[in-house]
Amino acid sequence: MTVVAAYIVPANPLPYLRPENPPWAGIASACRALGRSLSAARPDTFLIYSTQWMAVLDELWQMRPSFDDLHVDENWYEYGNLEYQLTCDTELAAACIEGSKAIGISSKGVNYDKFPIDTGTIVANGFLNPGGRIPLTIGANNLYHSFEDTMRLSEMAVGRARDLNRRVAVVGVGGLSGSIFRHEIDIATDGIAYASDDEWNRKMLARIQQGGSVSELAAFAQEYAKEAKADMGFKHFAWILGALGGRISGAQIHAYGATYGSGAAVIEFKV
Amino acid sequence: MPKGEVVAGFIAPHPPHLVYGENPEQNEPKSQGGWEQLRWAYEKVRASIAELKPDVLLVHSPHWNTQLGHHFLGVPTLRGKSVDPIFPNLFRYTYELNVDVELAELASEYARELGLVSKLMKNPRFRVDYGTITSLHLARPQWDIPVVGLSANNSPYYLTTEEGFEEMDRLGKATRRAIEDSGRRAVVLCSATMSHRHFQEEPETPEDMSQEHPYSMEMYQWDMRLIKMMREGRMQEVHDLLPEFVEIAFAEFKAGSFTWMCSAMGYPELPGELLGFGNVIGTGNAVFKWDLTKHGLATPVDQWTGERNGSFASAPQPAAVAPSVSGRGLGSSVSGGGVFAGDGPSIGARPLNQ
Repeated sequence: MTVVAAYIVPANPLPYLRPENPPWAGIASACRALGRSLSAARPDTFLIYSTQWMAVLDELWQMRPSFDDLHVDENWYEYGNLEYQLTCDTELAAACIEGSKAIGISSKGVNYDKFPIDTGTIVANGFLNPGGRIPLTIGANNLYHSFEDTMRLSEMAVGRARDLNRRVAVVGVGGLSGSIFRHEIDIATDGIAYASDDEWNRKMLARIQQGGSVSELAAFAQEYAKEAKADMGFKHFAWILGALGGRISGAQIHAYGATYGSGAAVIEFKV
Repeated sequence: MPKGEVVAGFIAPHPPHLVYGENPEQNEPKSQGGWEQLRWAYEKVRASIAELKPDVLLVHSPHWNTQLGHHFLGVPTLRGKSVDPIFPNLFRYTYELNVDVELAELASEYARELGLVSKLMKNPRFRVDYGTITSLHLARPQWDIPVVGLSANNSPYYLTTEEGFEEMDRLGKATRRAIEDSGRRAVVLCSATMSHRHFQEEPETPEDMSQEHPYSMEMYQWDMRLIKMMREGRMQEVHDLLPEFVEIAFAEFKAGSFTWMCSAMGYPELPGELLGFGNVIGTGNAVFKWDLTKHGLATPVDQWTGERNGSFASAPQPAAVAPSVSGRGLGSSVSGGGVFAGDGPSIGARPLNQ
């Protein structure tokens, strides 16, 4: 079995930086619990797609073997710094570069000191893989790629992982409804910015929980993305759908809440 | 304290290719040149800034993208290595810059007074974005003039373009008031590209200029239409057309840098001087100057010292010729888009898949 686990976790750093804040505590504790339960699945690598690693030319794959650095989020810098250590599965990333080209998507690797690893990847790694003991295979969110392109990429990446006999945990990093509060709030009172966003988030989560064919879920997800202004068109869900393929057997919603008005959820898919 | 002034504004686009083409010692990757017409345009910017002798350079960058409000760099010195996440092969730049924190604090305070959410970024480990660095390096590579860096709040993306521009108008007014009250001679830089549709693959040699050309004839024509208006000083028409231009050409002006700059200058209805134009991976980039000292709207530097020594406050001030802001579709009551009735090209927008 190639895919041994599949998750969606938030990209917003607030629950990671302030896990004690009541509206964010459930998200933080659910993410940490997933990290602990992962040991049973014994993945060789995380196959990660974060909405916050944005590319416009090519599909980029991280090829630097390791990072040990500190990142300051451009929005939420006042909540603290993000120290991180992570390692990369460069063999699988190289295979994904070739695989991307094989499916007609221009691609290349990046291997640079001080490359700005995005907040979402850092937060996901920190929650699920503290210390970076399991290597990551990280693909960028090319802004011009469609929902379907993203599904094709993750399907390809799982195929390449299979070729290399990797057991992978597939992780889509991103939020739900995208509208944040445009005024300063007391973070202890955080909630979803709009009732309609909350309603759409809950509809989407119910469909995910229930499962179904990938094509039906993909169609609903794109409607949801439009109605709820979902984070980057909810393409991190496309990443999961493409990786799992065929039919989604359902999922467990471990947490749902707000990150300064936008929606966030911790989702574990049945594999 | 003598009253400060905005002495000039520049459109100072930030493709990192231009720094790459210059081969400064701060940037790791080395090139065989390229994009000379834009780089030569920046030579004129540098000469103008040397002549204007500003106390501070203010830059509004679309690549410091903030969701909650309008932010200002607020740390006296920021240093580090900025690697462009989009073009890491071209831009890995070691920087050190000094911030005019006093002015940043004042502008942020005035922005809040105008009803905006505004913050000072005080984290010393903050990594400055490549848009800010590129525009500043190209405008003043000596890095010897303090700067004020402003984020681009993504309001034009969550709100309508007009609503977003209205916020940028207020941000510009706050900036102008802060400059005046601080006594600074200031240059404002709009760090933005015009038409922003671009190729999605990079040539093997990025500086191979045989591969460089406008994204499309339509984008080129839109850029030229706006440039012609700016050269003729038809700035109100430019502002009226801006929402349509933004939508069709996916213009980076959507991030608000241009509106902020014009507001900070007091919306002079003056011809800008086109210093150069060029395409970078298909995008349209114009380098423009509005030297307010040449039009009697700011004090030339050779007269400035005397004014600062005591007579400035009583000196007669030239009257700005700009019409009211509400006439430009920037007022809060305006709900419509651009109303340009010209006969230019019309192509369908191709929005990002997000």
